[in-house]
Amino acid sequence: MKVLAAGVVPLLLVLHWKHGAGTPLPITPVNATCATRHPCHSNLMNQIRNQLAQLNGSANALFILYYTAQGEPFPNNLDKLCGPNVTDFPPFHANGTEKTRLVELYRIIAYLGASLGNITRDQKVLNPNALSLHSKLNATADILRGLLSNVLCRLCNKYHVAHVDVAYGPDTSGKDVFQKKKLGCQLLGKYKQVIAVVAQAF
Amino acid sequence: MLTLQTWIVHVLFIFFTTESVGELLEPCGYIKPESPVVQLGSNFTAVCVLKEKCMDYFHVNASYIFWKTNHLTVPKEQYTTINKTASSVTFTDTSSLNTQLTCNIRTFGQIDQNVYGIRIISGLPPEKPKNLSCIVNEGKKMMCQWDPGRETYLETNFTLKSEWATEKFADCKTKRDTPTSCTVDYSPVYFVNTEVWVEAENALGKVTSDHINFDPVDKVKPNPPHNLSVSNSEELSSILKLTWINSSIQDFIRLKYNIQYRTRDSSVWNQIPPEDTASTRSSFTVQDLKPFTEYVFRIRCMKEDGKGFWSDWSEEASGITYEDRPSKAPSFWYKIEPSHTHGYRSVQLIWKTLPPFEANGKILDYEVTLTRWKSRLQNYTVNETKWTVNITNDRYIATLTVRNLVGKSDAAVLTIPAYDFKATRPVRDLKAFPKDNMLWVEWTAPNESVNKYILEWCVLSDKSPCIPDWQQEDGLVHRTYLRGNLAESKCYLITVTPVFADGPGSPESIKAYLKQAPPSKGPTVRTKKVGKNEAVLEWDQLPVDVQNGFIRNYTIFYRTIIGNETAVNVDSSHTEYTLSSLTSDTLYMVRMAAYTDEGGKDGPEFTFTTPKFAQGEIEAIVVPVCLAFLLTTLLGVLFCFNKRDLIKKHIWPNVPDPSKSHIAQWSPHTPPRHNFNSKDQMYSDGNFTDVSVVEIEAANDKKPFPEDLKSLDLFKKEKISTEGHSSGIGGSSCMSSSRPSISSSDENESAQNTSGTVQYSTVVHSGYRHQVPSVQVFSRSESTQPLLDSEERPEDLQLVENTESSAGSFPRQQYFKQNCSQRDTSPDISHFERSKQVSSVNEEDFVRLKQQMSDISKPFEAGQMKMFQEISVADAFGPHTDGLVEGFETVGMEAAVDEGMPKSYLPQTVRRGGYMPQ
Repeated sequence: MKVLAAGVVPLLLVLHWKHGAGTPLPITPVNATCATRHPCHSNLMNQIRNQLAQLNGSANALFILYYTAQGEPFPNNLDKLCGPNVTDFPPFHANGTEKTRLVELYRIIAYLGASLGNITRDQKVLNPNALSLHSKLNATADILRGLLSNVLCRLCNKYHVAHVDVAYGPDTSGKDVFQKKKLGCQLLGKYKQVIAVVAQAF
Repeated sequence: MLTLQTWIVHVLFIFFTTESVGELLEPCGYIKPESPVVQLGSNFTAVCVLKEKCMDYFHVNASYIFWKTNHLTVPKEQYTTINKTASSVTFTDTSSLNTQLTCNIRTFGQIDQNVYGIRIISGLPPEKPKNLSCIVNEGKKMMCQWDPGRETYLETNFTLKSEWATEKFADCKTKRDTPTSCTVDYSPVYFVNTEVWVEAENALGKVTSDHINFDPVDKVKPNPPHNLSVSNSEELSSILKLTWINSSIQDFIRLKYNIQYRTRDSSVWNQIPPEDTASTRSSFTVQDLKPFTEYVFRIRCMKEDGKGFWSDWSEEASGITYEDRPSKAPSFWYKIEPSHTHGYRSVQLIWKTLPPFEANGKILDYEVTLTRWKSRLQNYTVNETKWTVNITNDRYIATLTVRNLVGKSDAAVLTIPAYDFKATRPVRDLKAFPKDNMLWVEWTAPNESVNKYILEWCVLSDKSPCIPDWQQEDGLVHRTYLRGNLAESKCYLITVTPVFADGPGSPESIKAYLKQAPPSKGPTVRTKKVGKNEAVLEWDQLPVDVQNGFIRNYTIFYRTIIGNETAVNVDSSHTEYTLSSLTSDTLYMVRMAAYTDEGGKDGPEFTFTTPKFAQGEIEAIVVPVCLAFLLTTLLGVLFCFNKRDLIKKHIWPNVPDPSKSHIAQWSPHTPPRHNFNSKDQMYSDGNFTDVSVVEIEAANDKKPFPEDLKSLDLFKKEKISTEGHSSGIGGSSCMSSSRPSISSSDENESAQNTSGTVQYSTVVHSGYRHQVPSVQVFSRSESTQPLLDSEERPEDLQLVENTESSAGSFPRQQYFKQNCSQRDTSPDISHFERSKQVSSVNEEDFVRLKQQMSDISKPFEAGQMKMFQEISVADAFGPHTDGLVEGFETVGMEAAVDEGMPKSYLPQTVRRGGYMPQ
């Protein structure tokens, strides 16, 4: 199921998003003003770059760890099973303005965050002993949370963007095991591909 | 139904019971506030409100209220009666932390009733936490710590709060055992600024620390690099390459490093310059290392920009640099040993193993060359560090090189001088001193150029020989320390020999200690000579093994038993000392301590006594005394010799032998003086020294006085009555000795009268000239032999008794008594009166007689006393039978009588006149 929300609703949703959540949080009333708990740091863009680099540096390892943990047929059929065939993944235009790129980044992070939440939830059930994978998924989700916070700060402080439309990936809770694994593998493959582009863009 | 009834009964019982107890426990009032927490030093007011019911019951109101804190009544000045039911108390500047406050009333005028009580808790509000800081250990959660400030005396909670700009994290509550730090329960997210602060809260307030805002990546403490390894290079013996694996944090942050290294046997780390390791890397090549040396490395890292914390040090890794040719020639020296072969010398070449930093590899062997003067070179390969060879007395040049896997060292050259070479040019001003726990040697170089110096040293000991160690120093060095394994408290004999191009110079030696200590034994002092007022002490020098240092001085301690100890310092070069001003005839205790620079040690105590007299003092006294005595004796002898005739006359008068007397020669008409010679001739066989003759001029008075005649008659009778009676010698001769002079028979009367004194008499039983005497004859003798037993035979005693029994009628008895006993003198007086009467004819003779009498009687008085004392002693101590006592008494009597004998001589002399032949 594809959920598309527009306006500031996804913003607050993301702010209250906890890693590991299987589904996006319910939509809550939105305060459209850019109010932060304390002033944002001036070095946000540098931090965003570092975070993207951090994500980019770990994305491939996460992908390998994932399909390895799923077992056959995934490692030997990566192209078929783990191809970056995520059709609804938010687009990113590396040649856009910083504001555009930040908004698109915001959407990507929101999408990835929700999807990683689903994957993490599923893997704890499907591969409860793959602790290394769990840890890596959690670490990536934490970085995404931090990145989202920085992007939000940047959008608010500099561009006074109070809300961004976001889209979430499919909910895997109702799918079979293989589909869950496959969707997860496809998403991580896509993530690895996109994050490299995004990191390069900033 | 029954169950229901039972249940109702129970409920009712509980209800009424509770009601009644509630009534009983209901207080008469209450205090506001109920549970106050008061800040220390602040004012506090409490109000006690009485209940109407209680007031009516006890007939009291608020004015009856009094307050107590911890059972002590609060002064009434602090009370305030608000109204009829309420009274307040106010405390200013509360300082007690925990106070019990009670409200009380006095009922019926005398009974104190407690109304209510509360506990006042005092403390302080929390201070603002300071110095908040956080650290993120890689792979772990963030931990923050702070300074909580002053003690609050109250339970204070600290809460660590953190948030992003867009999100707040859960509070971090401190644990009771770590109230000043807290570790958050979420994983750190790098590159997102986080704001952190601390809230401190207790009953008196809440305070918040300053907020700190930081990127957790700037607080990170990375994990140290791991898998550190070291590898060397065969091409370069001075490098080692380090490789390691960085922690995973290097994936997103840049690192810088600290690399430290040290040699295996060192404890000091050297550090690679930080600027060389200021960027992320996983390997590094360390240069300028020593060949063939093992090095130990360690590494740590931190964020490149210096924000954050250094990681811990990695595990150490070691590696050995590759070998290189020996960098230096070894120390080279020789010893000449005596050789039995004529014309040859035995030379032992010795050298030192190169230290690893100079050997630069494993030493394979040594190459020695020996060149005789203007002769060909000889090569030898030696594996040890010494080599003995017999050489001629010529001059030789020896070289030594050391070889390892890579190559050979430079050659060490040594000139062995010819046999007759005379070494000169020693070093000057040689000094040795300890410094920094090393024994340093310093000298002034000779004027000539010196190739090198050889320092030799050994431990001086009385027990073991001097086994020298040595070291070599460069020719430019004039100060170095001994690099051997030196011990403290040992005396080292250090010799420095300069080595010139043409051979060794003259050696110079000095003694030194690495560290001195007090002697381990004190000197043993003893006396060499002890005088009346002084004593010469001597001691032996301490053996070098116990000296433990240079003996700087000695101290002699001496004291008497009761006196204070006196100390005398003596120079260490002395081995004896004279203690003066001592007291004679006194016991002295003396001990001695030897001192080095580090202290002293006492030796055993020695005791001696000064003599009472000085040497020669006794001789100085005795010799003069003896000389004086000798002189006196000599003078006495001389005097006696000069006066021998006189003395002999008085002491040993010649006693004419009656047996040789010729009665016929007695002539009443012989002139008393001029006939003396004829008498002398007549008694030529006698030894008369003097003869006193009392002549009674019969011409004027041919008839004696009637009294004289009468006395003569009496004497005759006495003589008759005592003839045959024995008389003893000594004591018993008192009577018997007198007899011959008294009991002069017709035949020998005249002869007896010629003798002045008679000591002893013997009864001669034989007749005169082989004639059987009709009567017993007394013969004089000078023998001092004691009485014979036969002379004391009972019959003799009986005779004496008979004599004594009949003596009462004889004046002679009185005569003897007065001469043998001092107690009865009156008969003596009468005797003298008689003598006087007899001798009145010639006053001159009488005077001479008195002199003789007094001279003779003196010694016998003493003898007489002595005899009586002996008797009385015998009588007193002997458990004698009566007979024995009688015997003693008898003998004593005889002795008493006999001792009076000498006095009897005088009457004899007197009587001589009286016996003038008629």
